[in-house]
Amino acid sequence: MSGNILDSIHEIVKKLSRSFDEVAVHAIAKKDTMVKIWNSEPSITQLWREIELHLRLAKSNRLWVLIYKTHELGELVKRAEEIVKTANKISEAEFYAPLPDYAACKPLSGVFDQNVEYYMKNPDNLANSLITETLSTGVERVSGTIRLSQLNRLLVTSKGYECREAKTAFEVYARAFKGDLTGHWAHGSTHISHDAIREVGRKAGLYATITKNKVDFTPGEYTVLLSPLVIGNLVNYVANMASALPVLMGFSMFAKYKPGEKIAAESISIYDAPRDTTLPGAVGFDEEGVETYNKPIIEKGVLITLLHNTATAIKMNTRSTGNAGWITPRSWNLDIPGGSVKYEDLIRDLREGVFITNNWYTRLHNYYEGIFSTVSRDATLLVRNGDIVGHIGRVRIASTFERLLKNVQELSGEKFSVWWWEVRVPVKAPYITVSNLQLTKPEV
Amino acid sequence: MQVDPGLLRRVVDRGRELGAQYVEARFQDDYVVGIGTRNDRVIAVYNNRSSGVGIRVLVNGALGFASTNSTSLSDLLETVEYAISQAKATSSLRKKPIEFSEEEVSKGKYGVEEKERLLDFGVEEMIKLAMEIYSASKSSVKEAKLPFLSTDIRVHIQEKLVVTSEGAQIEARVPRLYVNAFSVLMHLEKGTLQRSRWLAGSGGAELIKKWDPVKVFSEEQARLEKVLVSGVAPPSESIWVVLGPEVVGLIAHESAGHPMEADRILGREASQAGESYVKPEFIGKYKIGNKYATVIDDPTIPNSYGFFLYDDEGVKARPRYLYNEGVIYEPLHNRHTAKIFNTKSNGAARSMDYTSEPIIRMSNTYLAPGNISFEELIEDIDLGIYVKSYMEWNIDDVRWNQRYVGLEAYMVRKGELAEPVRNPVLEFTTGWFYSNILGVDKNLEFYPGTCGKGEPSQGVPVWFGGPNVKLSKMRVGVLA
Repeated sequence: MSGNILDSIHEIVKKLSRSFDEVAVHAIAKKDTMVKIWNSEPSITQLWREIELHLRLAKSNRLWVLIYKTHELGELVKRAEEIVKTANKISEAEFYAPLPDYAACKPLSGVFDQNVEYYMKNPDNLANSLITETLSTGVERVSGTIRLSQLNRLLVTSKGYECREAKTAFEVYARAFKGDLTGHWAHGSTHISHDAIREVGRKAGLYATITKNKVDFTPGEYTVLLSPLVIGNLVNYVANMASALPVLMGFSMFAKYKPGEKIAAESISIYDAPRDTTLPGAVGFDEEGVETYNKPIIEKGVLITLLHNTATAIKMNTRSTGNAGWITPRSWNLDIPGGSVKYEDLIRDLREGVFITNNWYTRLHNYYEGIFSTVSRDATLLVRNGDIVGHIGRVRIASTFERLLKNVQELSGEKFSVWWWEVRVPVKAPYITVSNLQLTKPEV
Repeated sequence: MQVDPGLLRRVVDRGRELGAQYVEARFQDDYVVGIGTRNDRVIAVYNNRSSGVGIRVLVNGALGFASTNSTSLSDLLETVEYAISQAKATSSLRKKPIEFSEEEVSKGKYGVEEKERLLDFGVEEMIKLAMEIYSASKSSVKEAKLPFLSTDIRVHIQEKLVVTSEGAQIEARVPRLYVNAFSVLMHLEKGTLQRSRWLAGSGGAELIKKWDPVKVFSEEQARLEKVLVSGVAPPSESIWVVLGPEVVGLIAHESAGHPMEADRILGREASQAGESYVKPEFIGKYKIGNKYATVIDDPTIPNSYGFFLYDDEGVKARPRYLYNEGVIYEPLHNRHTAKIFNTKSNGAARSMDYTSEPIIRMSNTYLAPGNISFEELIEDIDLGIYVKSYMEWNIDDVRWNQRYVGLEAYMVRKGELAEPVRNPVLEFTTGWFYSNILGVDKNLEFYPGTCGKGEPSQGVPVWFGGPNVKLSKMRVGVLA
């Protein structure tokens, strides 16, 4: 972030502090390179250099949030000054709390990979590695994405808080095709890893070639083995609902529960893990300048905490958990502790089960009740007496998140860092078996 | 327009000087003012602006894209160099060069008329509307409670200027209005029912009067209360199924619109939004349905949410018949896929914002209506179900296996709507749906949505719609 922008931000805070009770500016400077791969060739290579300015303004308990992706900082200030003139026409905000008082700046270290800059200029090496590794498994073609990011953020508030943080991010995922079977794998980190690229290619290829048999499938209740990709997708929904704002808005199954209540199997814990510096969502301070910390959302089946910013915390008579979002608290990274079973043994333990390696299109019928369905894609495998007997095409899990969490059986010891198009909050997750899940497929 | 076309022309010329076969520079400004409320309180007022230039180039048979939110000449010239360096960085990995179809060069300027200036529908008016929606909705509910009703109301002014190295120059201004209410109805014994309902389109503040959101939302709450309190489970045997325009529109979007995107057919979105059951050789030959299976995507519908007259490659927009009387007919094309299919682009390239590459998108997708009334459509049904709206839905990544869980639904008995039905589940394949349409009425209605696709994901405004549709008998499930 250049000195000019930095000076401008200080100027904005100083100037607007004359008109508003509180001012916070969150400036984000991003540089991203992305290679998209289509039929084993790049379809497009893209570069973004952006500066985003997020402005939180408060006056007499009224709240405004401005997000400007523009270099015209003067316009942003002008707009803010127009806003203040209409403040008395707007009612007090439902969820308002003063910004936290001054705190020391403690940015996270160990989250910036110097190699990212080089590969941003030379992404062909990484793309070629992903294509080559995946094709080496014997598949016919591969699609996928490689993204490299540098992110600098600066938070300045009128309470005297100022902190900067820089990090990098690396995302790679691949989908491999062989006949009518596909396999998919994904990885996310703060650091580039050539091993991870190779692993993504190998595992995508593995699942695309794991069986040649297409077998019949009868819808019903099954014990289902879910890959870390599926767990990552579903746990994103759980974590979104653990944000206190959706709870207060009726958008969440957690509206029915209080911290301390048992809501899941004892074997399952879900942590918000902003301090895991290997995952790309790592962050040292939230949007209110509160220092982040790792915390259980669910621990050994018990709901421990919702995710809070200062305003939702006051509303629910607790303290911020360092998860602001000025309006909506959010999770940063998610970590699910593994079990003691080997992945291979999870398959071996299935008597009549289904192994779902990837999913998409998760939708809820009712957030309050947690009623959802999601569709499998890529290898969906029927397992009998511990053996994969064939693939069954695309099926649907139709259940509730409560049932899913309560019916967790076993977790693998191995964990994988997952980040891709359908898993937007990075997740470190094991393979997990869940009993009595309803699987459907159209009769007509 | 905030940016002079001459500025973009210089950028395009510079790209050509640097060896690009094709350069496209697009200034795009998206300005949003909105509010969020919960019950009778404001959560926040928000104001967003995303403004900058996206530059796409074709170099050595490879595509590169770069964007900047600066509009200074020096930054733009640097950005076109970045776009070219990006294309060159991976061009050695392409075995077959990317080419574009030849198209008529368009120059045009268009906008959407605002009878009442949209930005005059200010924050104060938005809050007043939100409070009225909450108050009227709460009053309309008698036996159940309405513990949560949140609204999201916003105006969005979108301006674009597209300049290409082939001489296209398109200037557009589209104002859009969006009103959403998300509600939770609760009954001590019957549980909860949730609804998310949108009204959205392009035009001015006059749309508020035309839509009457307070009436629409509050009357729907009263009907949904009956579903919650008195709704019965659907019968277990096979029954006739009639779907309302909201459900039919979504089906058209998901199982005709998406599988007919040519980039998806060719696999460009394979690792994200997926591929298509449609193969290139199906076009113009393969029958997916019966005579009622005509699905049209038309960006030119006045006041629609997915409105545009030229796409972001400068190609003139027109209605596209995706399925025509049961035949897989015309995919949505951009210039890249048109070249591969040896045809012309039909103007389907859209970008969410200046940071987004133009990709193939739907606009306003609908199943063609018929001539009969709703009463005539259901008059010979002895026992059936009418599903008017939905909450949960999904479809597989080749757009074949799909599910819709009804929200407002009724039994049909002896040709008339009867008692409400709760949570009916419909699962069928694309082939079954389009082959089992027995009738369509004349009541074409549109519903808004934000369609997601691409990487990074791009959400673009669309309408989807259709008439009421009568289907063959099927077994209707129920939430377990």
